[in-house]
Amino acid sequence: MLKAAHAQQETEGLLSIDGLARAVGLPEFLAGQGMEALLAFGWVEEDAQGGMHLTNEGEVRAQELIRAHRLWERYLVEREEMPLETVHTEADRREHETTPEELERLDTELGHPAWDPHGDIIPDAGHRVPPPAGSPLAVCTPGDRLRILHVEDEPPALFAQLVAMGLKPGVEVEVVERQPGHLRVKVDEGILSLAAAAAERIHAVPVPILPVPLGELPVGSRARVAEVKGGGKHQRRMLDMGLVPGAEVTVIRTAPLGNPVEYRVKGTAIALRRSDADTVLVEEVRNG
Amino acid sequence: MDRKMITVGVAGNPNVGKSVIFNALTGSRQHVGNWPGKTVERAEGVFHYQGWEIRMVDLPGTYSLAAQSPEEVIARDYIVSGAPDVVINIVDATSLERNLNLTLQILELTDRVVIALNLMDEVERGGWEIDVKALEEALGVPVVPTVATEGEGLSELVEALVEVAEGCRQTHPASVDYGLTVKGYVQSLQADLNRLGVEERSRWVALKLLEDDPEIVEAFKQGDLAALGLAAPSASPEALQALLRRTVRLREEIRPDAKVEIVRHRYEFADSVVRRVIHRLRPEEESSTEWIDRIVTHKVWSWPIMLAMLTIVFWITVKGGEIGGGWLEAGFSWLIRAARTWLVSVQAPWWVIGALVDGFMMGTGTVIAAMLPPMIILFIAFALLEDLGLLPRVAFNLDRPMQTVGSQGKQVITWGMSFGCNVTGVMASRIIENKKVRLASILTSPLIICSGSYGAGVALAIVLFGEGALPVMLSLVFLSLGAASLATLGLNKTVFRGEPGSFVLEMPPYRKPQFGQVIWRALVDRVALTMWRAVEFAAPATLLIWVLGNIPRGVPFEQTAIGWLVHGLAPLGQLWGLSGEMLTALLFALPAKEIIVPALAMTYGLQTTLVESEQVLAYLPRVWTPLISYTFLVFFMLYFPCLVTVWATWKETRSLKWTLMGLAVPLVMAALITFVIYRGGRLLGFA
Repeated sequence: MLKAAHAQQETEGLLSIDGLARAVGLPEFLAGQGMEALLAFGWVEEDAQGGMHLTNEGEVRAQELIRAHRLWERYLVEREEMPLETVHTEADRREHETTPEELERLDTELGHPAWDPHGDIIPDAGHRVPPPAGSPLAVCTPGDRLRILHVEDEPPALFAQLVAMGLKPGVEVEVVERQPGHLRVKVDEGILSLAAAAAERIHAVPVPILPVPLGELPVGSRARVAEVKGGGKHQRRMLDMGLVPGAEVTVIRTAPLGNPVEYRVKGTAIALRRSDADTVLVEEVRNG
Repeated sequence: MDRKMITVGVAGNPNVGKSVIFNALTGSRQHVGNWPGKTVERAEGVFHYQGWEIRMVDLPGTYSLAAQSPEEVIARDYIVSGAPDVVINIVDATSLERNLNLTLQILELTDRVVIALNLMDEVERGGWEIDVKALEEALGVPVVPTVATEGEGLSELVEALVEVAEGCRQTHPASVDYGLTVKGYVQSLQADLNRLGVEERSRWVALKLLEDDPEIVEAFKQGDLAALGLAAPSASPEALQALLRRTVRLREEIRPDAKVEIVRHRYEFADSVVRRVIHRLRPEEESSTEWIDRIVTHKVWSWPIMLAMLTIVFWITVKGGEIGGGWLEAGFSWLIRAARTWLVSVQAPWWVIGALVDGFMMGTGTVIAAMLPPMIILFIAFALLEDLGLLPRVAFNLDRPMQTVGSQGKQVITWGMSFGCNVTGVMASRIIENKKVRLASILTSPLIICSGSYGAGVALAIVLFGEGALPVMLSLVFLSLGAASLATLGLNKTVFRGEPGSFVLEMPPYRKPQFGQVIWRALVDRVALTMWRAVEFAAPATLLIWVLGNIPRGVPFEQTAIGWLVHGLAPLGQLWGLSGEMLTALLFALPAKEIIVPALAMTYGLQTTLVESEQVLAYLPRVWTPLISYTFLVFFMLYFPCLVTVWATWKETRSLKWTLMGLAVPLVMAALITFVIYRGGRLLGFA
C-alpha cells in the first residue's frame, strides 16, 4: 500500500483513494482503510487544501520497502532460480519480514546490485528511487525498434503474462502497428498483440543502431550504408562504385583466404579488402 | 560534294562491351595509339553512313568523371575540350543504376548524347524488362537497346547518333536534383561564375567546385580556365582565386560532406529512374555465375582449379609452341636454303651470304619461330579468360597472399601470363589501375620463367642433370616465383613506399567469350605489332652476333670479336662462377632466350652461326660441374628480360627510368640469388 502510494505520488503528485484502489487492485473501501492506516502510521499527511502527501517518514519507509522488494526479487531470481513472473509475490511477502540489518547483508551478498530483474533501479540505502526511464510502449510509433527497460510489476497477473510473452527488460521489440486500443509488436520473430493498458506498463528506449564497419559483417548479411569515411580518392572511389549513404549492400562471399570480400551493391558485384570496406560504416538490416 | 564529318566519343564503364561496339562499327579501320603524354590506350576508327564520315574515339572505361585517375581525366577532358559532335554512352543494362552514375555526369557536360543500352539479352535472360521509352523520357536523350555481341541495335544506334549530330532530334538532358542545400550553393556559385563571364557549363563547374574536384580546383588556383576548355572572358586570375576561396567556405557549410551529398543525390536520382523503368517479369533464380563462383572461389577447390588453369594454359603454350615452332622452323629453313642457293648462284661474296643468310635470316627466323606461336596462343588464352570473367576471380582468390608482399591480386595475373611469355605479362599489366602496382607488375614480370627460357632450360637441364632435370626445372619455377615476390616486396618497401591505394575489383558475371572478336583482337591488335617489334630488335642483333663471330674471316676463335668478348667478360663473372663464354652467350641470348644453346655453341668456338647443334649439348656436361650448371641455369632464367620485353616495358611505361629499372631489377635479383647459390654451394663443398 505504501509503495503504491509512493508510486502514485511520483507520477501524479498527490494521493487519492480511488487512484490507490486502481493501483493495488482493491475495492475502493478497502483502499480507504489502507489510507487510514497510512495516516495512522504517520506516513501520509493531509495538507491544508485536503490533498494527501507522503510524510518524510513515509517517504523513507517507502524507499526501504522498495529497496527490500527489489533486492529480494534479485535474490530470488539469482540464488533461488525462481521464475521471473513469480518473484514479485514472494518478494512482496519477504520485504515486510526483513530487518534493516538483514537487508544490508542481502545487499552485500548480492554484490550491491544496481538493478532488479525487471530492470528497475535498486535504490541505495537512504536514496530516492528515480522514475522509470524511457517512454511507455503505448506512445511509440510503428517501425520503431525499442529495447525494454522496465516492465511494471504490478498488477502481478499482468506482469506474469507479459513476461510469459517474452516482454522482459533487455528484450528488443519492434512496433509493427498501432491501432486504437491495442498495439502489435514483434518480439523474436513472433508478432504479439498488446492491449493499450499493458503497453502502458512497458517502458522502452529506442535501440541505438550503431553503424559498424562494412568489413565486419558476416557473409549473407545485408546492410545500409550510413557513412563513407576516408576522404580523398579512396572515398570518391567508394562513392562512385555506389557505396553512397542509404545504399543497400549484401555480403556475398569471402575469398578462400578470408580477404577480400565480395559485396553486391547497386546490382553489381565488387570485391573490397576488409580494410577498405571498413571505411564504409553501415547499419545492418536485420529482417525481410 | 564535301564530306560531312561527325566526331563521336564512346564512353562507358569498364566491361560493358564498349570495345565490342567500337570494333563492330569501325571494323579494321582503326588506329591504336596512346593518349598524348599518357600510357592509356587510345583507339580511333572511321566508318561511313549515308554520306557521313563518322570518326569514333574510344574513351577509356571509367565509373565516373571525377578526375581521380588518368582514365577519368582523359574521358572528361575529351568530352569537355575535344568537342565531339556526339557522345555515345554505352550502358550495362544489367547494372543500370551504377552505370547511370556516369551517364548523369556526361549529361551535365553535354546534351548531345546517345545511350546504347547494351547487354539487353542478359537483362531478358535474368527475367527483367526495361521500359526503353520511359528511360528515354527520364534521361531526355535517345536510348537504343543493343546486344553488341550479336550486332543487334547497332544500325539504330548509328541512326540516332546522326540524328542528334544533325540537330534534327532535340535532346533535353535530365538534370539531377541535388537537394535544396546543394542546389542553393550551386546557384549562388553559378551566379558568381556568370559574373566572371563563364556561361558555358557553369552549373557543372559550380558542382565540381563544391565537390573539391582536383583538376578544377587547380585551374582556379592557377587562375586559368582555358586549360579546362572553358571561356572566361572577364575573369582575372585574382577573381577566380577569390571565387575558389568562397567555394571552400561554402563547401564547409554542406553537412556532412559536400562530395558525399552530391554523389548520394545523383545515385538517388538514378535509383528513382531505375525504379520507374525496370520491371521484374519472373521471380529471381540463381544465376550460373552464382554456382560457378561458389566453386571457383571455394576455400579448398579454388586452389586445384587455379593450378589446373595455369597448367593447362602453360601446357598448351609449350606444346603449341613446339608444334607451331616446328612448322615455322621448317618454313624458314626452306626459305634459308632457297636464299642461299640463289645467292650462291648469283655469286654473291661470302660475307653477304654469311651476314644475310647465316646471320640475319637464321637469327630472325629462330626468334620468330620461337616466339610467335606461344605468343599467339597466350594472347588468345588471356583474351578468352578475360572475356569469360575468370581473371577477376583469380585476382580475388590471390589478393590475400599478394598483400603479404605489399601488392594485390591482379599482379598474379600478369605473372601467370608471364609464364607463357614475359611480353604478354608486361602488357597484361594494363588491367591494373593502381599506378604503383602496375609498375611493380611490369618490373617483376620478367623474373618469371617464360616458355622460351623454360624450353631452352629444359634442353640444357636434360644434358646437364639427366634424370634430375625435372626437379631442377621445378625448383627453377619456384625460384622465379620467389624472386618475383621478393622483388615486389623490395620495390614496395623502397621505390613504391607509401599508402597502398584502395583495391576495388569488379566481379562481372561470367559471359560466353566472343571467339571471332577475341581472336581478331588478339592477333591483329597485339601479336602482329609485337612480332614486328621482335623482328626489329632481333634482326640487327642476330646480324651483329654473326659479324662478331665471323669477322675477321679465317682467324682462330680467340682472335674473333667473340673470342675477345669471352676473354674480356671473364673476370666479371668470377664471383658467381660464371665464365666469359657463359656471359657472352647470355648477351647473345638477349634478342630471345631461346637461342641460348646455339649462342653457347658460338661462344665455346664450336660453330660460327646461331644454328641448333647437338655438338654443344654433348660438350657442356664435360666442362660444367653440377653447381656451375645450376648457377648458370638460375642466372639464365632471371638475368635480363628479352629485348622484346624491354620494348614492351617501354611501351607500357613511356619512361626511360622505368625501362631501365625493368633491366636493373632482374639483373640485381639474378646477381643476388646466384651469388647465394654459388657461394653457398661452394661452402657446402660442391665444386
